[in-house]
Amino acid sequence: MIAVTPQRNSSLSLWQNLGRRSFAYWLIFPVLLLILGLNLYPTIQGILTSFTNQSLIDPSHSGYIGIDNYFKLLQDPVFRVSLGHSLELTFAAVLLQVILGLIMAHLLIQKVPGIHFFRSVAMITWVLPIIASVVMFRFITLPNYGLINIVLKELGLAPLARNWFGDEKYAFLLVLIMHLWRNVPFYAIAFMAAMQAIPADLYEAARIDGAGDWRQFWFVTLPNLRYIILVMVVLHVTFTFNNFDFVFLSTGGGPVNATEVLPTYIYKQAWNGYALGYASAGGVIMLVILVVLVLVCNKFIKGLSEQ
Amino acid sequence: MKGAFPIRRLVTYFGLSIFYVFLLLPIAWLVLSSFRNSDSVQSGRLIPASSELTFQNYVETFQISNFVTYLVNSFVIAFSVMLLTVFLGSLGAYSLSRFAMKGKKLFMMAALLPQFFPYVLVLIPFYVLMSSLNLVDTHVGLILTHSSLTLPFALWMLTGYFNAIPVELDQAALIDGCSRLGVLFRILYPVAIPGLVVAGFFAFVVSWGDYLFVSILSQSNQTQTLPIGLQTFMSSLEVRWGLITAGTVLAIIPTVIFFSIVQRRLVSGLTAGAVK
Repeated sequence: MIAVTPQRNSSLSLWQNLGRRSFAYWLIFPVLLLILGLNLYPTIQGILTSFTNQSLIDPSHSGYIGIDNYFKLLQDPVFRVSLGHSLELTFAAVLLQVILGLIMAHLLIQKVPGIHFFRSVAMITWVLPIIASVVMFRFITLPNYGLINIVLKELGLAPLARNWFGDEKYAFLLVLIMHLWRNVPFYAIAFMAAMQAIPADLYEAARIDGAGDWRQFWFVTLPNLRYIILVMVVLHVTFTFNNFDFVFLSTGGGPVNATEVLPTYIYKQAWNGYALGYASAGGVIMLVILVVLVLVCNKFIKGLSEQ
Repeated sequence: MKGAFPIRRLVTYFGLSIFYVFLLLPIAWLVLSSFRNSDSVQSGRLIPASSELTFQNYVETFQISNFVTYLVNSFVIAFSVMLLTVFLGSLGAYSLSRFAMKGKKLFMMAALLPQFFPYVLVLIPFYVLMSSLNLVDTHVGLILTHSSLTLPFALWMLTGYFNAIPVELDQAALIDGCSRLGVLFRILYPVAIPGLVVAGFFAFVVSWGDYLFVSILSQSNQTQTLPIGLQTFMSSLEVRWGLITAGTVLAIIPTVIFFSIVQRRLVSGLTAGAVK
């Protein structure tokens, strides 16, 4: 009824109101500043750099050269080899990780004595620094006193012993194996958690309909894991395609480019070859491929679910 | 079903043993070798004699100049990243979870999108940016860098955690005279501890293990961390695998201890958003 408010108070409440509204923005401001400033801004800057001849020797002087860098890249045989390796590695690693992850999850969900131990140590490979994993794999594959060669000799298979990382045929396989070693348990644990959330009566109904183990897995388990599979695939396509550490620290891309992937190729162009513009163009190609890969995964798995 | 299918149980153990030999053998071999003297490591025998076991590798690792520096740098940087990530991440998540504001979806997208950008592309302008801010070869530069890598996940995960906490709790506290920041620290923090721990652990692991950004931003042992140190060991101490393995064991101990503490919560934390 009495709607008379003193002028001073109303302006104060307006001020408070403004403060209240902007409070939420102030809370999120530091996070956005860090993420956008240190990730988004450099990426946009990197796309611009890819059209210049910027060099690490004198970064402040560079000129616009259009799409020359892209032309040169596509003609570079090492770039093409690296691109092939990156795609092969990503495809093979993610596919095998999903399959092995499903198998391991299926084992971990069994209620056998001691299963809690297996569940609790599973993720250990995922939390270790990648350099530590590389040291372990370099160490067990050493030519003279690595574990693998020792065991081969004990088994009387000495001719099979070799310098594994130095062998063109096996180095790439070892990089793939290191990716599996690190990530399969993460898949398994994530799938296991999702499997435990599937209502038991779905299996009950399937059994009544006469479905065996395999059909239960195919028609009950798998459809219920679609979403988590999609999340893991997208996460790991990104991780594997972008990963620099495994290759750079274990083989440096060798022997004779046998393990060269896009991240290591681009890194070397920038920091050893000083060609920042050229390297950026390689990075932009990676970005485009990655966007396409993620969209394809999304489509593919969504398509599966609508069957 | 207990004991009903011994064959099934046998198959399970057989499958598990294949997976776990593959997963744990490299770690076990590393730890065992770190306690062997160099003759023993190079003997090509699987099982060392007890006289060949020694702590010498660990003693020598600490005597190598720089190892302690690497260790201290790694600790300082990873702990700061952990604290910064949890603090700023929870502020952002509080904002996204509890306040109506314009552009919420856009903020979320903008925060998550950079997760998909190739690091090698980010790195080049990033280095130019850091040198213009005079942050190359500083702890602060590395802490901010690593935080920018860990914050998107923390923001995403903590927002999910906060969303699951009933708003009635906040309202009751506000009526009792609690400030809006007080609601975050006194009401949401205690309930969301599992989420905060997982976000912090994730940040620690990322920072502790990062090689790529440190290799560009660190130019002296003022700021170099363990991954750089181990890589240097591996290339310069080529034949002294006793030292390399001991250094590696020392570098993974903090992660393993931290992991064993949060392990139960890690699974639910990492997959929380995905499983629901």
